[in-house]
Amino acid sequence: MTTSTLNITDRMEKQPPAWSRLLDLSDKALAVLLLAPAGLLLSLIIVYPVLRLVYTSFFSLSLTSGLPAEFVGLENYQLMIEDPVFWETTWNTVLITLITVPGALVVGMALALLANLPFRRQWPVRLSLLIPWALPLSFAGLIFAWFFHSEYGVVNDVLARFGIEGVIWFNSPSLAFAAICLTIIWKTSSFMALIILAGLQTIPRSLYEAADVDGAGRVRQFFEITLPLLKPAIVVALIFRTITALQTFDIPFMMTGGGPGTSTATLAMYIHQNTVSFLDLGYGSALAVVMFALSMCVTVIYLRIIRTKE
Amino acid sequence: MHKSVMVGALLSASIFGLAAPAFADTELKVYISSQHQPQVWRQVLDKFEAANPGTKVTIETGGNTSEAQAQYLNTIMSAKDASLDVLILDVIRPAQFAAAGWTSPFEGKDMSVYLPAYAEANTVDGKVVALPAFADSMFLYYRKDLLEKYGIQPPKTWDELKAAVKKINGGENNPDLQGLSFQGKAIEGAVCTFLLPYWSQGKNLVDNGKLTFDKTAAVNSLKLWKSFVDEGVSKKNIAEVATDDTRKEFQAGNVVFAVNWSYAWAQSQGKDSAVVGKVGVTRLPAVAGGEQATCLGGWEWGVSAYSKNQDAAKKLVSFLSSQEASKHMAVNGSLLPTYSPLYQDADVLKAAPWFADAKQVVETAKPRPVTPRYNEVSEVIRTTVNAVLAGVTTPEDGAAQIEARLKRILR
Amino acid sequence: MSQVTTSGPQSVLSGRPLRLIAAAILLVNGMFPALWILFTSLKTEAELTVKPITWLPHAPTVANYMQAFSDQPLHIFLFNSFMVALLSTCTTLLVSVLAAYALARLNLKYRGLILSAIIAVSTFPLVTLLVPLFEIMRALNLLNTWIALILPYTVLSLPVCTLMLVSFFEGIPRDLENAAMIDGCTRLGALFKVVVPLCAPGVFTAGILAFVNAWDEFLLALSFNSNPALRTLPVGIQLYQGEFAFPWPVISAALVVGIVPVAILIVIFQERVVSGLTAGGIKG
Repeated sequence: MTTSTLNITDRMEKQPPAWSRLLDLSDKALAVLLLAPAGLLLSLIIVYPVLRLVYTSFFSLSLTSGLPAEFVGLENYQLMIEDPVFWETTWNTVLITLITVPGALVVGMALALLANLPFRRQWPVRLSLLIPWALPLSFAGLIFAWFFHSEYGVVNDVLARFGIEGVIWFNSPSLAFAAICLTIIWKTSSFMALIILAGLQTIPRSLYEAADVDGAGRVRQFFEITLPLLKPAIVVALIFRTITALQTFDIPFMMTGGGPGTSTATLAMYIHQNTVSFLDLGYGSALAVVMFALSMCVTVIYLRIIRTKE
Repeated sequence: MHKSVMVGALLSASIFGLAAPAFADTELKVYISSQHQPQVWRQVLDKFEAANPGTKVTIETGGNTSEAQAQYLNTIMSAKDASLDVLILDVIRPAQFAAAGWTSPFEGKDMSVYLPAYAEANTVDGKVVALPAFADSMFLYYRKDLLEKYGIQPPKTWDELKAAVKKINGGENNPDLQGLSFQGKAIEGAVCTFLLPYWSQGKNLVDNGKLTFDKTAAVNSLKLWKSFVDEGVSKKNIAEVATDDTRKEFQAGNVVFAVNWSYAWAQSQGKDSAVVGKVGVTRLPAVAGGEQATCLGGWEWGVSAYSKNQDAAKKLVSFLSSQEASKHMAVNGSLLPTYSPLYQDADVLKAAPWFADAKQVVETAKPRPVTPRYNEVSEVIRTTVNAVLAGVTTPEDGAAQIEARLKRILR
Repeated sequence: MSQVTTSGPQSVLSGRPLRLIAAAILLVNGMFPALWILFTSLKTEAELTVKPITWLPHAPTVANYMQAFSDQPLHIFLFNSFMVALLSTCTTLLVSVLAAYALARLNLKYRGLILSAIIAVSTFPLVTLLVPLFEIMRALNLLNTWIALILPYTVLSLPVCTLMLVSFFEGIPRDLENAAMIDGCTRLGALFKVVVPLCAPGVFTAGILAFVNAWDEFLLALSFNSNPALRTLPVGIQLYQGEFAFPWPVISAALVVGIVPVAILIVIFQERVVSGLTAGGIKG
């Protein structure tokens, strides 16, 4: 960063001062102009729904009660603290996040490094990174539920070929949880890999050549060149992977429906249940606000990390 | 014709003080699932249009599963959308839709013409909130050929069923042949799984919106299903069996007895079936000393509260749930009638001979609890049934959990 | 392209046998479930209940594909999905390239705040925003149009694409851009002539993310477009289910038909567009 700023001032000195002043002046206007489309779209599409969501969370609004909406302040939030299902689903969600985010990062990094090898044909590699991602989420859940099916599933079939007796995955909370986590890692590691691969491809070759001249080994090159230069891409991938992990819905919904019992139900499933199935819009909104708060905490931490390391 | 319409329009405009659309130009939109035979319903709508000149009815087709429909309808009804006038609803939903203020009640409708269970299913607090479209219920499907081979009568109790399975399994010696397939996955069908033996003990879950939970009956019900798994009558992985898994395995010839809805019949007699002509249907068995009971299914017609044509929409629904329409759908669409006499009707039986057997089953069907908070009741029961069958929870603990959670929902 | 990577640290593994192993791992990981669906689409329903399970179809049949096209207007679903995904990808890329450039290059005072606000958008579960979103679309008279989906899809992909592009733009040395400006380019000209081509892998990846996001979306498509002529693929595929029935072979056929266009698109893009752009761009 510092070298490029130096370069700018360097060049600017050669320009007439009027030109540079004009550039400085137009910076703000340009920023407004460039950010305007995004700002307009966001405010048109998302601001009203979000505000209404937060507003609704302060009301007792359960359509099945037949009662009109009533302002109750923080009562929905208070109910939440006393609600064991809220705690169970939140705990499951946090656990899924803690397992699948690092899992997807490690697998995704490995896939990206493999995919970055000098293959003669690039598209089969690209394609195999993209297909997991292009499979509609809800159907991916159904397909993997089938893979882990105790009788008709390919997992137990492969185990049997190695002489290992299969298990009934969805009869046990821990095995069902493991099956869900494996599926999520499979589905999301390709997203990680894509972003990391794009990062790998923009690293200039000259840096490695210079390192070769200096006699740095491959492993050192990875830790001293590749990883630091990949960091921005990795952080972006991590932010969104974490947010989507906190919103995990389709895969457990399709694979187990939260079972056995409620042992694999997530917060997003609980929100869906309250708003769509139970029509308890007040409570559902409050849950969504809590999920937003959770996600924002994580995001802020990530953004801090990028800023301090810069 | 045109003159009278004009006069009518002027009259209504002056009476209501607004420029109401002329009555003759009424347009109604009906929401139907795309696999509930919209093309056959279209014929019924054509008849209605012919009898009501000036009224035009269009169909909007929606998703096929009950969940997909609820997802869509919840959004547009929450937004108070007026685009739909008449809605088809799963039998478990009218109470919820009425409480949310999404449907309009039918005043002074005589419900005694329908199968008795449908009067109960569509009445909330003494108000009729929807009218039946077509019937369905859970049946006990069985392999006629195997039962005949071993000289067994269709079982009347669950104990008889167990004995029959043991006899057949002993003779067939086929490890792939399951005795009984039912729904143990945490889906809506698992609620019926729980209720079948519970009802059979003469107990009700909800009466007039109040919880009438009988814990002993609940424990017995859960114990019964668990015993099928433990004694090898049903598969060990029954907790992952959904409705269509039961249908596929029965159709493949791997199941002696199966608990399933009526849709499985047509497919079991289809080209891909290994059991064509070998299938019988009968009432679901009772617990020892109990009565035979089954779970009511089917779909209902409701009128959207946001419809701008309330009277016309109600007139249409009355027609759609008339005996004439029910017969048309039975003959041309193989949908089970909601009128008892139609099960003996010559035209109906000619088109669908198996309806003769279906009548005795449908007549013993009971509706699942009629309450606006049914979805919460369902969630509690289905997850517990699933947990008990997976072996994660004991029947006793399961029943206690159901009781505790239902008490909170139905205070 | 390959030159860039051969001298990278990964070339520890660049021996031919190791490359084959790497290819095998990638292909099995990525393709297996899709292949399984392909095989299933060629089986009869009866074959799915055979024990032990079969991998390859015993007697391959295309009947499921015939049924998939005859039961539902699958080609219409495909066309709608394709147009909606393509148009929303274009708008997403345009809007996020502009925004990302402002965030990466102009020293904004509230940069952190703007970034957080953009990310915040993606932290609400969509299902809780559904009803107000429906009301907005109705108020704008957009229900049952492609725009009703293109607008929210753009917003849904905007955060991830913008943030990604910010990180890529920041990696491009400023002097390249300044050189272009001295050569008479405007700032926006430099953005599109220098920065975007240099970040081609990043822009391509952002585009793919936006495209697939739109291609897969179900909830909004179900709620905003009730007209069968405007249905998209994920909503359409659900229609092969019955109230209870779940015919895997036919649904698999529909899924395969849904994946193939995306796959072809990626291959064409990879071979023609990206390779060309990056080959010219990164001289390092």
